[in-house]
Amino acid sequence: MADRELTALLAHLKSSAGRLSYSETNALLSRAKLLLLQLNALTPAPGTPAAHLALARDTFEQGALASIRARNPDAFTRYVAQLRPFYELLPRGGGAAAAGEEGEGGGQQGERNKVTGLYLLLLLTQGLYGEFHSELEALAAAGGGDAEADRYLGYPIRLERWLMEGSYDRVWKAMKKGEVPCEEFGVFSEILTSQIRSEIASSSERAYPSLPLSSTKSLLFLESEGAVVEFARSRGWTVRDGQIYFPSAQETGEEEQEKEMSQMIMENTLGYARQLETIV
Amino acid sequence: MPGKTPDKEPVENGGYRGGKDITEKDLKSKAKKASKKEGDDEMTVVVPPAKSSKQSSAPPPNDADGDVLMDDAEKAAEGEVKVDPVVQTINDIKSNFALLDRAVAQFDARFSLRALRSISSIRRRLTPDILAQAISETYASSSASADVAKRMLLAIGRPDVSLGRQPGPEMEIDSEPKAAAAKNGARKEVKEVIPEVDVFLGILTQVLLHDSKRHQQGLEFSQYLAERIRSLNRRTLDSLSAKVYFYYSLFAEQIAPLPPSPLSPIVSIRPTLLAALRTAVLRKDVDTQASVIVLLLRNYLLTSHISQADLLVSHTQFPENAANNQVARFLYYLGRTRAIQLRYTEAHEHLTAATRKAPSSACALGFSQTATKLLLVVELLMGDIPDRATFRQPNMETALRPYFLLVQAVRVGNLEDFEGIIADHADTFRRDGTYTLILRLRQNVIKTGIRMMSLSYSRISLRDICIRLHLGSEESAEYIVAKAIRDGVIEATLDRERGFMKSKEVGDVYATREPGEAFHDRIRACLALHDESVKAMRFPMNQHRLELKNAQEAREREREMAKEIQEGDLDEDDLGGDFEGM
Repeated sequence: MADRELTALLAHLKSSAGRLSYSETNALLSRAKLLLLQLNALTPAPGTPAAHLALARDTFEQGALASIRARNPDAFTRYVAQLRPFYELLPRGGGAAAAGEEGEGGGQQGERNKVTGLYLLLLLTQGLYGEFHSELEALAAAGGGDAEADRYLGYPIRLERWLMEGSYDRVWKAMKKGEVPCEEFGVFSEILTSQIRSEIASSSERAYPSLPLSSTKSLLFLESEGAVVEFARSRGWTVRDGQIYFPSAQETGEEEQEKEMSQMIMENTLGYARQLETIV
Repeated sequence: MPGKTPDKEPVENGGYRGGKDITEKDLKSKAKKASKKEGDDEMTVVVPPAKSSKQSSAPPPNDADGDVLMDDAEKAAEGEVKVDPVVQTINDIKSNFALLDRAVAQFDARFSLRALRSISSIRRRLTPDILAQAISETYASSSASADVAKRMLLAIGRPDVSLGRQPGPEMEIDSEPKAAAAKNGARKEVKEVIPEVDVFLGILTQVLLHDSKRHQQGLEFSQYLAERIRSLNRRTLDSLSAKVYFYYSLFAEQIAPLPPSPLSPIVSIRPTLLAALRTAVLRKDVDTQASVIVLLLRNYLLTSHISQADLLVSHTQFPENAANNQVARFLYYLGRTRAIQLRYTEAHEHLTAATRKAPSSACALGFSQTATKLLLVVELLMGDIPDRATFRQPNMETALRPYFLLVQAVRVGNLEDFEGIIADHADTFRRDGTYTLILRLRQNVIKTGIRMMSLSYSRISLRDICIRLHLGSEESAEYIVAKAIRDGVIEATLDRERGFMKSKEVGDVYATREPGEAFHDRIRACLALHDESVKAMRFPMNQHRLELKNAQEAREREREMAKEIQEGDLDEDDLGGDFEGM
């Protein structure tokens, strides 16, 4: 009985995903979780029937997507953590049972790739590259080499590669409308844009002696020259005769380096002396 | 130990196979007592009449009895002149029982290790029949551990072999123990077998099942064996139980669905391994601790649970004085985890240590190869170019061939070659588990390419860079070069209006801090080597007590002397120049 109610609830959630407000969705999700509790499927156990597992998984997936739409990364991370054991118990591909269900249009697969892709993107925007690659390794082990070809998974993987290389223009292009695999991914565009902008700015500081204002606009993907001037001011650059000059941090840095180096040499030498004493 | 004195046999004279005679001093007082007995050679054994019935009810640890059994087996072996491979193997197995006995009696783990080491030589000759015979000759049907023996026989598929068979067919069965003892060294002994021997035979059973690829049975039997070890709390079992868990997890790995799948049986053995780890830590069981940590790490990495592996490492302390091989394995898995987490410096450190600690013999070649492969990739990721000599080692050359090509592509900075090699050898890299790591190398290739370009040209247009590195567009090239400048890969400036990169003059390397750092690294390595060599020195156990005793005596002498001085019996002169010397 509880499972029928839950199915109906989930159908409602899925069909009206975009229209409900976050608080409304949350209320529905709480009800769904209570029903799951009645089914004893809130936390997975090896004995839980597969149908209940799938229901629980769908509930959490809806929760994860809703929290992304509401820009609540903490709630999203929590949902992802809750989803993980369900994904372990409901393996993708392989096995006779899964092969039969493949024909139903991936309904049985759930939104696994989408949620995982979003999670990867979240890790990327938070700069947690270690976790990003750990997650990637798990994907490679579970799904073979098709992760990159997937619509949802390939997106963050490509973004990461471009970010690491420094091809920021490709990242920028990928974030434009039409390139993003689905609307939830668009949420991260804003964060990513400011991220790459500051990356570009910090590399420009070192790479160019000066830059004309007009080309800086396109370099930093800014809308107008006014925005460029504003951005330049926030980073402490000086603007003169249509040229941006970067403050040279070179000289002060060098002196400090010198000091640091002699300090290091002293420390090392003292260390050797101490070690020698223990040996002799 | 009531049953000890009567039937102590001349142990030394028996002569252990393979020169495994005893050199260590008997340290335990118990053992000392026993060694005294060894003097009287032809001591007749006074066996209590109701021996067999009494023995079967006696508690298992009855080392002296165990000794006799072994010695008899030895003697029997020497008695038979013909070298039948079956008999030979059985005797080899049994000769290890003596070592295990000694390990128990003297509480020295080295003897157990020696027994374990012999497994590899026995392994080649082991058949179910040989093992069944060995088991049936070791256990009496009435003994308390008969059920263990039965389980073993069942596992190797010889359930109908009866226990308590005599060591040789030509032996006549003498119902009077005394007579037998007088004749040929107490052959008809029905004694309790120490648990160490149970477990040793259990390990042999595991080995046999593994070699014959009966993994399911192996897993079941290992479960039983692990359960039994848990119920026995004996420190002398430590090194043996480590081995038992090793085969346990090996069996689990081999059963379908194979590891990357989350449904593989290795996931289900984790609770057992974690429980074993907990127990081992509580009991200060270093061997099991080390081996189980390594197994768990391997287990997590096989299913790519990187974060769990990381948590395990951060919450446990790997025992410092673990066996070298376990340390090497641990370092390898740790290095792997760190490499995936992008902590390349740590990964490099661990992997270097792992390759150095790996045994140099041919039997561990696979390990060194795997560790070297990973090390090479990590070195590349760090921006270093591995040594050419690594690829020239004769036993590595073919295995490292794809990596050699990869290194060449990265060194030259040719993106096209690099992609080609990845495509050609994708399967090899996937099998080695380095594929995802290698994919990360792309940026390094680009960086190297830019560096080569910056070194060769004092000024080059972005368009040329774009063409030579096969980058998508000029804008991409500009961003990439700017990033490379910021990351300190090259010393150059960009000119946006005219679209070129201008290299700065390369300064003198010796004016930088680099030589100092390299020097420091080397000194640190030497010092660490010195420290480790000091730590690695082995001192005989309890030797310090002797010294303490000497010190005690010296102090007493001093006190006496002081007393005498006080009493005026002794002048300062009598003490000689000692005070100066001090």
